[in-house]
Amino acid sequence: MLELVTTDRGSDAGNSETAVTFERLLDLISRGDREAFSELYDRTAPRVLGLVKRVLVDHAQSEEVAQEVFLEIWRTASRFESQRGSAMSWILTMSHRRAVDRVRSSQSGHDRDERIGLRDIEPDYDEVSETVEIRIEHERVKRAMAQLTALQREAISLAYYGGYSHSEIAGILSIPVGTVKTRLRDGMIRLRDELGVTS
Amino acid sequence: MNDRHDDDDPRLSTGAYSLDAVSPDEAEAFERATDASESLREETDGLVETAGLLGLAITPVTPSERMKAELMAKLATTAQLPRQEPVAAVPDASAEPESAAPAAPTPVETPAPDARTASTAPRAESRARSRWFARPATLVAGIAAAAALFVGGGVVGTAVSGGFGTSSVTDASAAGLAEITAAEDSQRSTVPVEGGGTATLVWSNTLGRSAIVVDGLTPLPDGKVYEAWYIDAEGAAPAGTFTASGEGTSWHVLAGAMNPGDAIGVTVEPAGGSTTPTTDPIIVGQTA
Repeated sequence: MLELVTTDRGSDAGNSETAVTFERLLDLISRGDREAFSELYDRTAPRVLGLVKRVLVDHAQSEEVAQEVFLEIWRTASRFESQRGSAMSWILTMSHRRAVDRVRSSQSGHDRDERIGLRDIEPDYDEVSETVEIRIEHERVKRAMAQLTALQREAISLAYYGGYSHSEIAGILSIPVGTVKTRLRDGMIRLRDELGVTS
Repeated sequence: MNDRHDDDDPRLSTGAYSLDAVSPDEAEAFERATDASESLREETDGLVETAGLLGLAITPVTPSERMKAELMAKLATTAQLPRQEPVAAVPDASAEPESAAPAAPTPVETPAPDARTASTAPRAESRARSRWFARPATLVAGIAAAAALFVGGGVVGTAVSGGFGTSSVTDASAAGLAEITAAEDSQRSTVPVEGGGTATLVWSNTLGRSAIVVDGLTPLPDGKVYEAWYIDAEGAAPAGTFTASGEGTSWHVLAGAMNPGDAIGVTVEPAGGSTTPTTDPIIVGQTA
């Protein structure tokens, strides 16, 4: 989590000295500070929308879900526990969960699958990204992902980028659910160590 | 159900949980298990944090202007969970489900942190009404008449133009609304809409601007528009016309400059708007 905090500040390249941390913003937001909310939005909305859209694909639906995410941030800012992880991670976790809920609760999942096809779920790490910072993140994650076995990588990509549940993944890959769980856990532990996340 | 017995060991599910690959029931059971085991919780927190890094590596996507404007407007009607001050057992704080469904917009009967606005609202409203063209007694009757307009005109599909287009006018208005709601001295007050529902007035004295936000404002028949007014001792000054989208959130950033203490009203007027109100207001409130 130390890594994440450093990276967050980096997103305000140039004035990282003066940038208020996301943790501080969440604290202000929990006291009803709309200006702090506006700042948090400006600094994190593209990331939230990027993540939601990766899972949902459809842009209009993704904006709806991203809006729900920010309303939930407004509602529950008082519940953020800084000792359990970084604010950015809290926000992205919430975003991923909402996106996944939407995919599983509706027709959107099926529509999406028809549109992109299962093969394209794995992210294209070579795509050109907008900023140096994102490229660095890409590079880090790409390198860490490369340390996994192909089977672990496949399972994690289906779960995180595809939004599939372990039983759906079991169906797609024709393997038992227990095996999926093991691949996800072993893979995530490996990733955690490669990315240097301490907890 | 071909679950194996080893699937029940929560330790096996840390990876799946961190990637949201478990069902809601499983997630709940898993969270209970983490409460009971510190080592399990530690591993889980680490993997959740790691999943966050996967999220950070995704290319950001720029949201539309209106997404922020809508969101800032919705804050006014979204209650916040209370802060949990050190072990001061608030009895019903825990009754609120942590991950309740999509932030059901709770009408702000008792606006959360902004006691200022809350306490002045009722008084301000009655003051504004008493000013309405010195006909306070007829206000309620007039409002009934205005409401009848909707019925008389026959509410047919979308009136004028849907407020949910992506025209540059809408975007400009959206940016204006975002600016007002984000201002440091932004204030708000909730007032009833005749015919049902509530409207939220949002204003900033330093910006000298205000906006009206209404959920599900009734679309008007052809040839009618909503018109906003700034009202002071001198009378009512026109502040722009607008239409309703029917569903979702409608808003109007008032034209012209607002002075602190101005009342804000909305009437139904013929298309093109009027220079003085020709009907009684369906919305009245006062800035402070």
